Amino acid sequence: MEGIHQFLEFTGFANVTLGHLGMITVGLLFIYLAIAKEYEPLLLVPIGFGILLGNVPFIENVGLQLGIYEEGSVLNYLYFGVTKGIYPPLIFLGIGAMTDFSTLLSNPKLILLGAAAQVGIFITFITALTLGFDINQAASIGIIGGADGPTAIFLSSKLAPELIGAIAIAAYSYMALVPVIQPPIIKLLTNSEERRIKMKPPRAVSKLERIMFPIVGLLLTTFISPGALPLLGMLFFGNLLKESGVTKRLAETANRALIDIVTILLGITVGASTQATTFLTPQSILIFVLGAISFMIATAGGVIFAKVMNLFLKDENKLNPMIGAAGVSAVPDSARVVQHLGLKEDPSNYLLMHAMAPNVAGVIGSAVAAGILMGFLLKVF
Amino acid sequence: MFDNFNLNAIWESGGILISIVGYIIVFFALLLLYMIFALMQKVLVSRQRKKLKMQGHRAADSPEINLSGEVTSAISMALHLHFAEVHDFENTILTIKKVQRPYSPWSSKLYGLRQTPRK
Repeated sequence: MEGIHQFLEFTGFANVTLGHLGMITVGLLFIYLAIAKEYEPLLLVPIGFGILLGNVPFIENVGLQLGIYEEGSVLNYLYFGVTKGIYPPLIFLGIGAMTDFSTLLSNPKLILLGAAAQVGIFITFITALTLGFDINQAASIGIIGGADGPTAIFLSSKLAPELIGAIAIAAYSYMALVPVIQPPIIKLLTNSEERRIKMKPPRAVSKLERIMFPIVGLLLTTFISPGALPLLGMLFFGNLLKESGVTKRLAETANRALIDIVTILLGITVGASTQATTFLTPQSILIFVLGAISFMIATAGGVIFAKVMNLFLKDENKLNPMIGAAGVSAVPDSARVVQHLGLKEDPSNYLLMHAMAPNVAGVIGSAVAAGILMGFLLKVF
Repeated sequence: MFDNFNLNAIWESGGILISIVGYIIVFFALLLLYMIFALMQKVLVSRQRKKLKMQGHRAADSPEINLSGEVTSAISMALHLHFAEVHDFENTILTIKKVQRPYSPWSSKLYGLRQTPRK
């Protein structure tokens, strides 16, 4: 009889709280959005299922070694890659091996849009400070505006490991919700005439330029911001594997098998880290709100800067200001949003290639920003 | 949730300075990247012009020496179709050919047919 009683106490039904049920609902919502609406399914399915996994209730801290926060559990071992910032550089390796920087190289001034959109990071950093977060936590929250999940995880693992779950969930949620968040801001800041601007087709880029880019890019950005070395090092290494043309097998492994494996592990563990007993705090909700603000400011920053650039450009070189919104990174979703909006205004205006340039520049920009924040805030002496 | 609101925190922690300097450095890093690759583009174009001039091509003096990606794709597609022999207009009598076969009872049509029953 005692055995039955103990078994009943071990079941999820005996340990469930409203928090668990709330988080399970969020997990189901993520899975619904991924499957029914196809919002970033490669991210939302693992994260959504991870949320379910992390919120099955059980008796904690009695040596069962089940939960993600219990030392020695399988999930805890897998989570090690998140807390120590191992997964993000590996994801960047895959991104580098699948990214074509040609559009950026054909029109290098579009790199500046990737820089402009990083304004969201720094404004949110200040806002978070005023709301009572300490300076390291504020920097980790601000980086959500970089719209780059791996960068956000990497920085928060170094500066504020206690917030990693909330920051990762917020960053990935907003990345998946790019098609919902960005269009109203873009429309608010541009008129129909601006949205119909057709840009000059990109020129063909030589192989020499494509090989030089990862080498020069690495040396230049990491000399300025060494903190970004693990991220940018892997990004440019992956890109060199792709562009060199002699390491096809390595490039294919990096941009298929490796990135898929790491995405699965990252998604499921980040999802599972939302265990209601640890995750559901007013602080997490505030991080979500700040993340959304950060994302909106970043989008607006990119669009406004593209409009400012247009003031100095000749008529034939004018930019469609919508592509500034792609400077927030979130590759390739924000570029896709710009393409859809462009086609809506003018069915013959294809902006995807142009938007990819600030999009990939945004990835570099947010990693540089993360490195700079680490340089300022990491206590090494 | 907003109990801890404190505007002075941005000054006390040096946050405002970090933000301004940080943003300027991000901008500077990417500006440098832009300048290097804009310069590289110019150097490559002038090298190409020199090469074309030495070979006596008229294209060396044209203002736009670079092909757009669209033109390159169109040329690549045309070459691919040419070499893969994929054409829009097919020769319509390709499949109708008269074949001469020597007579053999083994392949005779007459022996192959079922005999009509006698009434």
